[in-house]
Amino acid sequence: MKAVDSKTDKDVVVGEGEEVQLLMGNRAVVQGLLEAKVGLTTAYPGTPSTEIQMQLYKLHKKGQLYFEFSVNEKVALEIAGAAALSGVRSAVIMKHVGLNVASDPLMALAYFGVQGGMVVVVVDDPGCLSSQNEQDSRFWGKFSHLPILEPSTSQEVKDTIVKAFELSEKYNTIFLVRLTNATSLNTSAVKMKVVEEKLTKDGDFFKDIRYALPARYVLHKGLHANLDQIKEDEDIKAFNVLKFEDSISDKLIITHGAIYSIVEYMRNLNKLDIPILKINAIYPLNEKQIVEILKKYKYIYFVEELESYLESNILSIIGKYNLNVKVFGKEELAVPEENRILPDVLTEAFKRIATDPTNEEVFKVKIPAPSAYAHVFGREDQLIPRTLPRLCDGCCHRGAFYTIKRATKKTDIIPSDIGCYALGQVYPVDVGDFWLCMGASIGTAIGFSLTNDKPVVAIIGDGTFFHAGIPPLIDAVLYNHNITVAILNNSLTAMTGGQPTPSSDEKIAKEQKQLDIEKVVRGIGVEWVKSVRVEDVTENTKLFREAMAHEGPSVMIFNGECIVELYKHSLDLGEAPYVDEELCNMCGTCFIEFSCPSIIKKDGKIAIREDTCTACNICVGVCPQAAIIPRKKKKV
Amino acid sequence: MSDYENKPINIAIIGLGGQGVITLAKLIANTSFMLGKKVCYNEMHGLSQRGGSVQSFIRINEADNPLFAATDVDFIIGLEKLETLRYLYLAREAKPKVLVSNRYDIRTTVDLGLEMFPESDDIDQEILKYSSDVYIFDALGFENSVKFKLKPVNVAVFSILTTFPELGIPSGKAEDFVTEYLGRNLILKQINKKAFKEGPKWLKKVE
Repeated sequence: MKAVDSKTDKDVVVGEGEEVQLLMGNRAVVQGLLEAKVGLTTAYPGTPSTEIQMQLYKLHKKGQLYFEFSVNEKVALEIAGAAALSGVRSAVIMKHVGLNVASDPLMALAYFGVQGGMVVVVVDDPGCLSSQNEQDSRFWGKFSHLPILEPSTSQEVKDTIVKAFELSEKYNTIFLVRLTNATSLNTSAVKMKVVEEKLTKDGDFFKDIRYALPARYVLHKGLHANLDQIKEDEDIKAFNVLKFEDSISDKLIITHGAIYSIVEYMRNLNKLDIPILKINAIYPLNEKQIVEILKKYKYIYFVEELESYLESNILSIIGKYNLNVKVFGKEELAVPEENRILPDVLTEAFKRIATDPTNEEVFKVKIPAPSAYAHVFGREDQLIPRTLPRLCDGCCHRGAFYTIKRATKKTDIIPSDIGCYALGQVYPVDVGDFWLCMGASIGTAIGFSLTNDKPVVAIIGDGTFFHAGIPPLIDAVLYNHNITVAILNNSLTAMTGGQPTPSSDEKIAKEQKQLDIEKVVRGIGVEWVKSVRVEDVTENTKLFREAMAHEGPSVMIFNGECIVELYKHSLDLGEAPYVDEELCNMCGTCFIEFSCPSIIKKDGKIAIREDTCTACNICVGVCPQAAIIPRKKKKV
Repeated sequence: MSDYENKPINIAIIGLGGQGVITLAKLIANTSFMLGKKVCYNEMHGLSQRGGSVQSFIRINEADNPLFAATDVDFIIGLEKLETLRYLYLAREAKPKVLVSNRYDIRTTVDLGLEMFPESDDIDQEILKYSSDVYIFDALGFENSVKFKLKPVNVAVFSILTTFPELGIPSGKAEDFVTEYLGRNLILKQINKKAFKEGPKWLKKVE
């Protein structure tokens, strides 16, 4: 296959055992891990890093390397850390909030260093496309004393991973590689080596007094000395490149790996002959390298996504070396500190970069944030209606939500959790008041129940329950906290595309044991436990009321199947039920309360869309008039 | 084709979750790549599978950066009318070529009376205001003609794209790619093949 070099416009020379492929950034990570011959990999699912994990899972099933979906990010990092201490190259993959969970072992492991190379790949989600908060993982470097690299393109992603393992072993330290939802989901051509060999996880752990040492501040000192060496490394310096060096200008733009491509595009679109300093080695920064570059310019423009990391760090370098430059940062260029950086977001910034830097008035103007909704039809009041995300047609959670809605009052407090079922909060399903982080539904439910004289119901999925929901449930049993927990069990991590959880059966994950949630809950000591099917809404509502009336913690497990997973096994799940017009009194229960998108109003009557209905038949039990009549349903 | 060889062609594919936006992007990008061109694309993930808006950006003749300003778009492929209008409104200065499906989904918020919903004809008029180069794909007609639950609209649109010379995707190569890479079983392969053949029949240029 032919491929063209993006810089020279010549055909890429492909050697023996090499090939060029279009790879998504996430897939390029996996290619890097293969080329670096990494024997052990662990992860917990999280968009936008999921494709890395799914690919590793496939390779594991093929027997090429070891991979596991660990129960949470902390455990994942501990497993990989022990492997690296045993001399085995290991990697951990997670999203930005996953690193919060894994930070406990990470901070201390940094003190020991590693024997085999170890890389933590963390993917940030600016704009919260699928996360509870935005985070700038560049700040972990200084905090944890670990170097961070941040590639721009798929090719750089692959090369950076390979280099990170070399450097990790050279300096016996863990390396962080930071991607964002732009780098991880952009697809471009990658020249790569074909790796087909089986990668080993056989190591040898040597005991060392350091690992059991109580006075660890001694090790802390060593970390700083190590970082001083790392920043002088020629390979590290080479990650930071002055692009368009030949441009004759007294202006310089400074940006970082994740958004470099966009900044370069905007520079070219605005026909600006200004060089760009592209910083891919985020931490540690080499002061001398930066000073040598800054010396050549008078006006410095920082363009960064999320926080002003480079701006504040380089400002301190400018102050320390007393450089005579004028700096334009987030405030002066009107670059937002929140949300994704897309080319359109930088329009104003590049206008300002292009203007006379001595005209101070230009940089003081505040611009209002652009409206999320376009005004069309020439009228201010006519907006394009929003497209809200919603639970799938045939989602099994809808049955559980309807049950909870019927059994609770509007004033009851309902903390929910991280997963598809967080969408239950979106109108018109409208179940769930509070949404924090993995496993927080049960912990916060306890807090709400202690301080409010109202019933409290926690909603949590099976994956999230195993990830971080068990310790707070133990707390509830210990002190007999009066909460009801609804565990919505679809036996997989649905939100991220169907990865296995501990309750997955052999159909989803052959190679693992299946844990019975009911047994786990009973084992913890919860006395009121019921495990039900989602379809029996009337019976379930009665039971749920009983659970809420129970003094102390009670748990109801709603079992159902993820409709997306069912579609993977069969394209035909059965025929849609129909509405008996004689029986239907247009009460709106199915349409508004249950709110399945396949149930629509058509010519003033309720109807079921046959093209989108998945024949889950939960609505059959919902209709108070029994006017929804089921037809053939297929067993998958 | 040679006129277009060096300037990147910026394509935005706009639609709703489940319509096959990302698959369509993959089809375009991989076929271009097989033909030896520089190409890159981006996927917007999130709550896409659940009916949210989905966008994918492709640049042909550009290797590294798939993201471009809305005002720099050359070609908008819209699989749903309202989403297309939303993006076209942002891109109106670029006067792009627009290929839009006549599919128009009622939003939940409108169904429940929370938001006003424009009439289908009003949307057409509005689209024509921002672009003078509009093609309409009769997705509803096409879907009705497919006697199978899955409607490979994206394959039909991909087939239509081969009739636009500026994209430089020859029909033969495109069809090879569809049959080779898409569809897990024989039935799917057959349906895709049929969609590829039928697709261009449902296209109409707005004069």
